[in-house]
Amino acid sequence: MSVTIKLPTPLRRHAGQAKVLEVEAATVGEALGKLVEAHPAMRDSLFDSEGRVKQWVRVFLGERDIDDQRGVETPIADGDVISIIPPIAGA
Amino acid sequence: MLSEWDLEKFRRQIQIPGLGEEGQEKLKAASVLVTRVGGLGGPTALWLAAAGVGKIVIAHDGVVTPSNLNRMILVRGDGVGKPRAPQMEETLRRFNPDVKVVAVDANATQENVGELVGQVDVVCDTTPHFGERILLNSECWRQGKPMVDAGMNGMEAQLTTILPPDSPCLACRVPEVPEWWHPLGFGVLGAVAGSLGALAAVEVVKLITGYGEPLVGRLLSYDAEDMTFNVYGLHKRPGCEVCG
Repeated sequence: MSVTIKLPTPLRRHAGQAKVLEVEAATVGEALGKLVEAHPAMRDSLFDSEGRVKQWVRVFLGERDIDDQRGVETPIADGDVISIIPPIAGA
Repeated sequence: MLSEWDLEKFRRQIQIPGLGEEGQEKLKAASVLVTRVGGLGGPTALWLAAAGVGKIVIAHDGVVTPSNLNRMILVRGDGVGKPRAPQMEETLRRFNPDVKVVAVDANATQENVGELVGQVDVVCDTTPHFGERILLNSECWRQGKPMVDAGMNGMEAQLTTILPPDSPCLACRVPEVPEWWHPLGFGVLGAVAGSLGALAAVEVVKLITGYGEPLVGRLLSYDAEDMTFNVYGLHKRPGCEVCG
């Protein structure tokens, strides 16, 4: 399945300032794995030392939080969009 | 009770179906805390003053620096080197002499947060420090006060409304200060911060008047670079230390 991953500002510097990337994956976890495989500098921003998505990084498939679905096991369909939304506090 | 002057002054917003004179009376009787009052909170406070909120408490320490002037619309160009809070207060009073403005020359701290939150009906969290945000969230939850939470980073912006006791709180989404965040490490285009500040004021007006549908349990996220707007669903985090 081809899935689009939308990157937030803080992660774009690890991907040549790309805002959007495309990967092939069957689940959200697989898509995030391929993302950090291609851009290893993102790993520490996205995952904790045990390989779990950090608590303050919200990952949405469409407009639903994956934690309200099946977490990283959430299956994806062709053309889906994953949004990575970390909290921001600029004022 | 609205005066003849109020009715004429706010005629155009009283005209909005569903807001009306009843909504305007609620605004007049309401009090709001805005902390801090920079590129984001400044426009929020200004629009709340324009809308006729009766009392606005603003909290922001320090003096005006040259780099504040691309976004802090409540301070003056000739006010560099002088305290921010009195300039912000003066701008709000000049715009709406009927509003009661309480200017606090301090940011939210463990020592003052109870008093700051305790004197208002609604809190508007517009600070660049996650530590202050987390503190305000906890205190609002403790006192049962709604909090509008707005943040931006470069061309991106986020907005949500936290409404105890049922909505998700900030700590559900931000259980700890993200290690990558630096309060001065983000770019700001004043108009982006200002657009978010205006939307935050809309949320406050809705909370006070009961008009419309606030962003409770929802996160508005937009990117002004390509003008894409999305609304995401938020959930309570099981075991949340604040609201769980």
